Amino acid sequence: MTETKNDPTLEASIPTASLESILCTEELQRRPSRPPDYEKENCALVKLVSALADSPSTIFQTLAETIQDITQCDSAGLSLLTRDGKTPHVDGKRFYWPAIAGMWNPHVGGGTPRNFGPCGDVLDQNRTLLFRHFERRYPYLIPVNPAAEECLLVPFYVAGKAVGTIWAIMHSDRRKFDAEDDRVMASLGKFASSAYQAWMHIEELKTEVAERERAEAEVRELASGLEAKIRRLVEANVVGIVMFDLGGAITGANEAFLQMVQYSREDLATGRVRWTDLTPAEWRDRDERAIVELKATGIFQPLEKEYFRKDGSRVPVLLGGALFEGSRNEGVAFILDLSGQKRTQEQLRRSEAFLAEAQRLSQIGSYSWRVATDEITWSDELFRIYELEPPLTPARLRTRVHPEDLTLYEKMVEQARSGGNDFEWQYRLLMPDHSIKYLHAVAHAIRDHDGRLEYIAAVQDVTAGKLMEEARDKARSELAHVARVMSLGTLAASIAHEINQPLSGIVTNASTCQRMLAAAPPNVDGALETARRTIRDANRASEVIRRLRALFSKKETATESVDLNEATREVIALSLSGLQRNQVVVQAELAEDLPTVTADRVQLQQVVLNLLRNGSEAMSTVDDRPRHLVITTERDEGDRVRLSVKDVGVGFDSRAAHRLFEDFYTTKNDGMGIGLSVSKSIIERHHGRLWAAKNDGPGATFSFSIPCRREEGLTSNETGPATRMPSRRDAA
Amino acid sequence: MISAEHQYQSTIDALHGVAHASVMHSQDERSAIERPLVSIVDDDESVRESLPDLLREFGFAARAFSSAQGFLSSDCIDETRCLILDIAMPGMSGPELQHELKLRRREIPIVFITARSDETIRPGMLEQGAVECLFKPFSDTALLDAVNAALQMN
Repeated sequence: MTETKNDPTLEASIPTASLESILCTEELQRRPSRPPDYEKENCALVKLVSALADSPSTIFQTLAETIQDITQCDSAGLSLLTRDGKTPHVDGKRFYWPAIAGMWNPHVGGGTPRNFGPCGDVLDQNRTLLFRHFERRYPYLIPVNPAAEECLLVPFYVAGKAVGTIWAIMHSDRRKFDAEDDRVMASLGKFASSAYQAWMHIEELKTEVAERERAEAEVRELASGLEAKIRRLVEANVVGIVMFDLGGAITGANEAFLQMVQYSREDLATGRVRWTDLTPAEWRDRDERAIVELKATGIFQPLEKEYFRKDGSRVPVLLGGALFEGSRNEGVAFILDLSGQKRTQEQLRRSEAFLAEAQRLSQIGSYSWRVATDEITWSDELFRIYELEPPLTPARLRTRVHPEDLTLYEKMVEQARSGGNDFEWQYRLLMPDHSIKYLHAVAHAIRDHDGRLEYIAAVQDVTAGKLMEEARDKARSELAHVARVMSLGTLAASIAHEINQPLSGIVTNASTCQRMLAAAPPNVDGALETARRTIRDANRASEVIRRLRALFSKKETATESVDLNEATREVIALSLSGLQRNQVVVQAELAEDLPTVTADRVQLQQVVLNLLRNGSEAMSTVDDRPRHLVITTERDEGDRVRLSVKDVGVGFDSRAAHRLFEDFYTTKNDGMGIGLSVSKSIIERHHGRLWAAKNDGPGATFSFSIPCRREEGLTSNETGPATRMPSRRDAA
Repeated sequence: MISAEHQYQSTIDALHGVAHASVMHSQDERSAIERPLVSIVDDDESVRESLPDLLREFGFAARAFSSAQGFLSSDCIDETRCLILDIAMPGMSGPELQHELKLRRREIPIVFITARSDETIRPGMLEQGAVECLFKPFSDTALLDAVNAALQMN
């Protein structure tokens, strides 16, 4: 390859000849010109035209050969400006040699710089130039063999722009170029330029055609694919497909549509199935609007309507469609059968109605609470229960909660927010009319698909049940009281009865005995007999007492957690009318922080009742001062609680204090004597202590103290001595 | 059962009567004939044992029965000048026996006795025709006063 680089070092080191010194263009006019050979020139043109027709890509080579042939030179060729080394371009930075004929033919593909070479000089001056030994100025041509004695260069134009040169070279002085050479080359150059342009144009056309064909092929492929897809859609019968015209005709329909309206394909073929006839009167307006839309935009948006079936029944449908492209009258529509959806909607509506009704009847509301967003959805019944109207805010809900339950409420909300467990709780609402509602809530925690916490809860208004429960508790407590009093009275009576029988025998026998001995003569045998009976009856009485004590100490006890204050308040409430009748004023001073005790609630209440009645009884003769009774509860040392009843009654003889609780049976009919004894047993069974103390002023204070917790439960066997006590009146 | 018990009791009662009659006979034949009969009906044995002896010490004839039926089926009804009657008894109660006697037009003065310590029943009993209502244990003088009052009714 003889491609030479423009080497600046070479340029600088070797002094170059001036452009003028290597040009001899003017000599062309001075040299004798040979006559034109038009025949040969015509042949050359024909050859070029043939090349253009047969193999356009060889047109440059043909041109080079033609120039060589006509000018009888040693080498002929073409230089074209190029940017990429192949295609001609007016802004190219180098010339390249696409075709060379003759001795330089091996140099095809070589080239020269745009701005430092003979071709550049020709374009700069835009005219034919004749060089002699141009390698004297352009040293990079020195290695190109054989050297050029003379070189004639003519500009080559494409579309009016000089993009290169055609040239002829003589490597010897065998002949010199003349004006005729200049003319022929220019003429051939013009022709070649036109030919080249024609070829380029043909090439462009070819490309265009190829591209168009490819595009068409793509469209065809697309169309056939789309058609297959649409056919699939139509034949799948997933949706009804109908071809229609605006006049009312149905020109085609798939099986799905026919099934929807229950017509056969034969019915359709008759042309009597028209969409206008299928449409009930009340839907015609909707159709009219769709037609207006179709005419304006070519499509109509999906709409819901109804069609008549063949049997006159109706089918709800959703349809949408479009006019065919370019058609003002015909189009295609899809139709969906909505019967299923409508049924489901109706069922849903009904089940919602059922739920609402069920909630109303059962007074159960429900809500869902999305914790992260505080999004709360309430059922109608819940609004009714809370007596609120939408919208809901946590603040508004809060205003309904009973002030006493507010702390609990907030604690529950906080727990629910952080927890994620099911929860159940009861709380109260305080309504604007100051009534109280009792609510019972049960909430179930779920996680949505993103794992966010949500509660589904049911809230029941249990107010009625709660009030009933309270009434029942009150009744039960009253009943318990009656039962207590009754049992006490019955016990007293039965004890009296059991004891009075042998007592009666004792008294009678003793009287008889006395009389028999006092008689004259004394009836000693009779007296002995009656004395024997007296002893027997006394033993019998003693046996009765023993039996009763055994019976009493074996009484079953129930243990539970008892709020002594609450139990005491109940007793006071129950005794109040009786106490008031005796003009007794009761003052309760109950400690607020009293711990609960493990005890038999009813038995403890019996003790409290006994102490109250005892105090009341002690004041029955008091007329010079108010009959004041103070009942106190307080914490006692060693995890115990203490209850005291202080009266201003007759008090008791301090010498008899230790006997106060001892006598088991007493002659008093109201059973109070027994009461204190019984009370003592009960308190002792609770591991507690019952005692009496004289007041500084008038009256006495009876107190008991019991431990709050006990390890070994209630003692069932009382082992202490038989306790007996006299009546208060006796004691006093 | 009742008839068997009744028979047994009647036998016991009869034996008592015979025994005491013999005692009284030895003491004072003549007065024995005039002694008014006081009958006792009580289910409590110690009363049945002790009361007749005391009454005889007072100078009355006495017979004891453990049940109302026992008394009704005895031959003492016409003879009895005073009936000491327990209120609460199994089977026929005291007031029921009182009613029964009224129906039979055997109006014997009745002194009720009871082991129940409920004095509120006393006015009712008196209103219903009782001479007295004594609460056990009662004194010998209270008994004597009541029986004497009853005998004066005859």
